[in-house]
Amino acid sequence: MIKNIWRFRLSILPGSVISLAILFLAFGIFYILFLNSNHDASSSAFITNRIIGLIKFTIFQAFLSTILAMLIGTVLAWSLAHQSTFRGRDFLVALLSSSLVLPTLIVVFGIISVLGQNGWINRVLLYLFDYSFGSFVYGLSGILIAHVYLNASFVARSLLHVFESIPKERYKLAKSLNFSVFNRFWLIEFPAIKLSLKSISSTVFLLCFTSFAIVLTLGGSPSYNTLEVAIYEAVKLDFNIPLALKLALIQLLITMVLVFLSANFQAAATNIKTSGTKIPWNEPKKLQYFQVFIIFFSTILFILPLISIFIDGLGADFKRIISDEIFIKSLFTSLAIATVSSILSVLFALLISDARRNFNINHRIKKSKFRNLINLVISFSGNIYLAIPSLILGLGFFMFSLNSQIPLLFWAMLAVLCANVLMSLPFAISILYSPMLKIAQRYDKLAFALNLRGSKRWLYCEWPYMKSSISYVFALSFCLSLGDLGVIALFGSNEITTLPWYLYQLMGSYQTKDGAGVALILLVLTLSIFIFLPKVFKNARHR
Amino acid sequence: MNKLLKYGFYILFLTTLLPAQTNKPTLVVYAYDSFTASWGPAPKVKKAFEKVCGCNLEFVSTSSAIGALRKIQLEGANTKADILLGLDKSSANIAKKTGLFMQHHIDTSKLDLPISWNDKEFLPYDYGYFAFVYDSDKTKKVPNSFEELIAMPKDFKIIIQDPRSSTPGLGLMLWIKKIYEEKASEYWKKLSPYILTITKGWSEAYGLFLKGEADMVLSYTTSPAYHIIAENKTNYKTADFKEGHYGQIEVSAILKSSQHKKLAKEFLEFTISEAFANIIPTTNWSYPVMKTKNGLPKGFYSLHVPSKMLLIDDETIQKHRKEYLNEWLNSIKK
Repeated sequence: MIKNIWRFRLSILPGSVISLAILFLAFGIFYILFLNSNHDASSSAFITNRIIGLIKFTIFQAFLSTILAMLIGTVLAWSLAHQSTFRGRDFLVALLSSSLVLPTLIVVFGIISVLGQNGWINRVLLYLFDYSFGSFVYGLSGILIAHVYLNASFVARSLLHVFESIPKERYKLAKSLNFSVFNRFWLIEFPAIKLSLKSISSTVFLLCFTSFAIVLTLGGSPSYNTLEVAIYEAVKLDFNIPLALKLALIQLLITMVLVFLSANFQAAATNIKTSGTKIPWNEPKKLQYFQVFIIFFSTILFILPLISIFIDGLGADFKRIISDEIFIKSLFTSLAIATVSSILSVLFALLISDARRNFNINHRIKKSKFRNLINLVISFSGNIYLAIPSLILGLGFFMFSLNSQIPLLFWAMLAVLCANVLMSLPFAISILYSPMLKIAQRYDKLAFALNLRGSKRWLYCEWPYMKSSISYVFALSFCLSLGDLGVIALFGSNEITTLPWYLYQLMGSYQTKDGAGVALILLVLTLSIFIFLPKVFKNARHR
Repeated sequence: MNKLLKYGFYILFLTTLLPAQTNKPTLVVYAYDSFTASWGPAPKVKKAFEKVCGCNLEFVSTSSAIGALRKIQLEGANTKADILLGLDKSSANIAKKTGLFMQHHIDTSKLDLPISWNDKEFLPYDYGYFAFVYDSDKTKKVPNSFEELIAMPKDFKIIIQDPRSSTPGLGLMLWIKKIYEEKASEYWKKLSPYILTITKGWSEAYGLFLKGEADMVLSYTTSPAYHIIAENKTNYKTADFKEGHYGQIEVSAILKSSQHKKLAKEFLEFTISEAFANIIPTTNWSYPVMKTKNGLPKGFYSLHVPSKMLLIDDETIQKHRKEYLNEWLNSIKK
């Protein structure tokens, strides 16, 4: 085994170094907080019944949200994969990604515009039938709706890739064997998406588990709070850092268990998008109706909140917004941060996936307990952002800056970049890892035989299959950082002001209208990136 | 590329030198972000104060006043802050307990406040009353007391904030405690069916209210002034509760560790001056602590002014804060 590790050192080393650096950073944050928390007995750092209740509810809602989001997302991806030619499909696919990356509060407001007590649906119903659903969007149902809204679109978007890379020949085979729809799904499609289902669902679970703004705004009552809220309370209100640390460790443990459960020790069937073979026949009529209905219905549900953000934004005084110096400053800061962090995210995700796949392929490194362990460690490092609450991350960086001679600005920059990269990594890896694994499984032997290595292998073997995923990851992480409030907002810094921060400030001082205008600008930026970036990548052919 | 980097570093280096060259002392004030925003009081305060002090005034913004306090606590002896501005009187005792702040020795007899002021460390710079805001075009029947509020029809909904993360939220909790004392828990139980949602901060709650989600939102009696002055809308009003309204008094204090104590005292005196009082109403949307020659802006005179400002004394709050919060949590739970 050692021999094999040595043989693949160039592929293992960069990714492992990054993984280790991330784990080291996480350790450093916990350590410095531990050192700086005063250990007097009076600080009541115990876990109360209320916190146990919070943990239970957090797991419960995350579990429900994940199941619902996975179900809806899968059905939508399946319908979209089978309806591949309708008009506006590209635009719809771009829209599907944008809800995840907008600032959560904006999305919540969009959902409320549509489904709220005074939302569009209730108002139409009231007008037509004199009936209203009332305030169903608050409480547990609200949390679930918002989580499904945010995550189902991500699930659909990522699974669509997987569905599309199922070789069309298999569909032809299914047709000639006269498979029923169920058999076709169970025997052909399900095995192909199984691997991705596992990794995506664990990411979604963690996202719902650590959700903060949604749970607080739509939950409507302290009985629907999450662990993150308890951490916030411990840090901000009680200044009880030992308790916050304990809570953060609980979250870390839960994340570890999840990563363990979802890690793929054995690679599944191999699919990568291959030839442009077209399927010459249509789906059966009834099935077609069903798929069109699903697409139509979810399009409306996904688009309406975005439309409401758009309409709300039009009322803003754009002249005033654009002439505000701080707006321009925060716009450029946000764009700069997003550019740097998205490049780093893509790079890190590729390197980490490249290193990790060595430990998942039998012809590279033989199966053993040690191999599984390394596989786990690497995949855990990619999910570290979901394991460490952002408040703790921000606090940790702040403590670093206090304990060093380097100016705060440097640490603030580093904190923002780190947070943004770490935030994108779980998505990036869950999207990039499975195609990279499959490429290695399929082409390794050919590549080794041809002695195709380094940049050449990358150019001829990986890039053609990866470029659409890479462009998606690039767009996703760019927009994620664009929409991120930033860890530094918690402890303040005058040097770095981002667009979402500007937006929250507007909303915090009666200027809701201009806030809606900034939200509109963010939405347009996000959408245009999701629409144009894949086109740029499509045209980027190697010479 | 290398050249570009080099110039970049030069510029970075130069910007760090700039403030040092001016030779004036710099007074650093930590404040919450809506105070330091470009439309908030900070830019005007900076301009007015720098005219008279011969110094640089620098505002460092944090997401909340309590966040600023935590920042100072974490920074310890190395903190750059000379002044902490923006804490609510109700949570000022948390700051006092840290022992980081010094007495201000400023004459407070001329303050124009609904209560008498005798805090030796914290000096008020503006105040307001918590109140429920409603849209008079939409909501016709409005409760005029807490008792009437829990007798409203079942579809009457209010939005409030969480006392753990928001000043108005804390204000309402204390408001109800002040009126109902040991029966507060009972009252919250009766109130909870009327609560549409409890948000983290004021922004979310007020935003939802403006979207028409609820009949009333917890805010300030001065909120309608914004709609009158900045938007020319007179339909937003506050419900007048006959039990009286809980007050919010925002305060500032000087840090013991400050290197510019004299300058810091000058700034605190400035916050109770007429110049400052003229800035506050239309930037922080609250009442100044000084009467001015010009008086308040026009829109402020149409506001409802509560007959009585309710307050619980700081000591009691400090002692029982945790207990009140737990009581609130237990009674509001579904």
